[in-house]
Amino acid sequence: MKPVTQTKPPRRQRPLHLSAESVTFAIASLIVAILVGLVLFIWATQSNEDPILAVNRNGDIHAEQGYYYVPFSVTNIGGGTAEAVEIVAELRRNGEVEEEGQQQIDFLSSQEEQEGVFIFENDPGQGELTLRASGYRLP
Amino acid sequence: MARRIVFPTAEAWQFELEDFVRAISGGFLFGIPLLYTMEAWWIGSVTEPPQMLALLGVTYLIVFLLNRTDGFRQVRPDSPRQAAMDSVEALAIAVLCAVLMLILLRQITPATPLGEAIGKIVIEGMPFALGVALARSILQEETEDPSPAGPASPGPLHSLEPKKVAKELLKDIGATLVGAIIIGFSIAPTDEIPMLEAAISPPWLLAMLATSLVLSYCIVFVAGFTSQRQRRQQAGLFQRPLTETVITYLVSLLTAACMLWFFHRLGLGDPWFLWFKETLILGLPATLGGAAGRLVL
Repeated sequence: MKPVTQTKPPRRQRPLHLSAESVTFAIASLIVAILVGLVLFIWATQSNEDPILAVNRNGDIHAEQGYYYVPFSVTNIGGGTAEAVEIVAELRRNGEVEEEGQQQIDFLSSQEEQEGVFIFENDPGQGELTLRASGYRLP
Repeated sequence: MARRIVFPTAEAWQFELEDFVRAISGGFLFGIPLLYTMEAWWIGSVTEPPQMLALLGVTYLIVFLLNRTDGFRQVRPDSPRQAAMDSVEALAIAVLCAVLMLILLRQITPATPLGEAIGKIVIEGMPFALGVALARSILQEETEDPSPAGPASPGPLHSLEPKKVAKELLKDIGATLVGAIIIGFSIAPTDEIPMLEAAISPPWLLAMLATSLVLSYCIVFVAGFTSQRQRRQQAGLFQRPLTETVITYLVSLLTAACMLWFFHRLGLGDPWFLWFKETLILGLPATLGGAAGRLVL
């Protein structure tokens, strides 16, 4: 007698029902995961260096209505955040301070740059102009 | 054999979208005051990564507890699993809203260092997340359907007496004024408005105007909050969704300008564009307050 081979009918897999909620949950999880990942990335890459402030002239000096405008930028090239950053500009002629100005910048995060302008009565081109950061507070 | 995937229907997406608009509306009502606080921007700048993670964890926990009883979806009560999932979504919505608003207010620009931007997003995202989780309960939709034939429900436009139209109009203007003043009063006297005015250029002002109108419309006519259905059925020129949104926006702007003058932030001698810019900036929270006022009052 010939053996009877029974073939099982192929089992139909149940379709996967995607709900709108599960799709939005997946997208939301991705967004939260990216945020947490970015926080961890900052944590891993942040240096324990103190703030280091670099003050530079930023553009040409120009005269407006008898006053001389000196643009500058200050960048925190160090690690931490600096608070209440003081910027001092001094215009010296013949070794004596002829004019000076001060500015304060509220916050300067690591790698952040802020720009500003000092205004002088005397022509900075006729003397020696120095721009520097005179101090900051740790937040 | 590959498993067949059945995608959600258009109706399911519609429900989901409504839930999300409700969540965003609730988030904005709660999150806006802290967005206009410079100390919050500064704290965001100096927050360390471990503090950010702790803040995210605490926010998630609070939002989870709120989602057990409140939440932004129409279904209730939420099971622990549903509440856990909704809390992730609430956090994600809060993060997106905070990013959008911080970019709009120019507190995050391409020049902002990554650490500072993330710190600001985490700090500002917290009240947004709480607002999302409270969306259903703070401005709850009424369960009973308003009867269209009932004596209280207004009829079509032509059958409405002019007196009644005027009454509805005054009621909505009054509610907008009260809401705009409640939210705007805590922001108008502060230094944030001139600070933001200095940082915002005209294209961003236009974006702010558009955001104010879209959010106002969503809160009142899409989010499914209190009396939304009645509002859609209300007759009269002022009650047409788009007209109501635009007119109440103008009322909110006028309220914002008055508040800026009252708190001596602006004087009659100040240039018109300063008035214009600062009014538009304060107009955003005032409009949200006005929209909330029309729903609650």
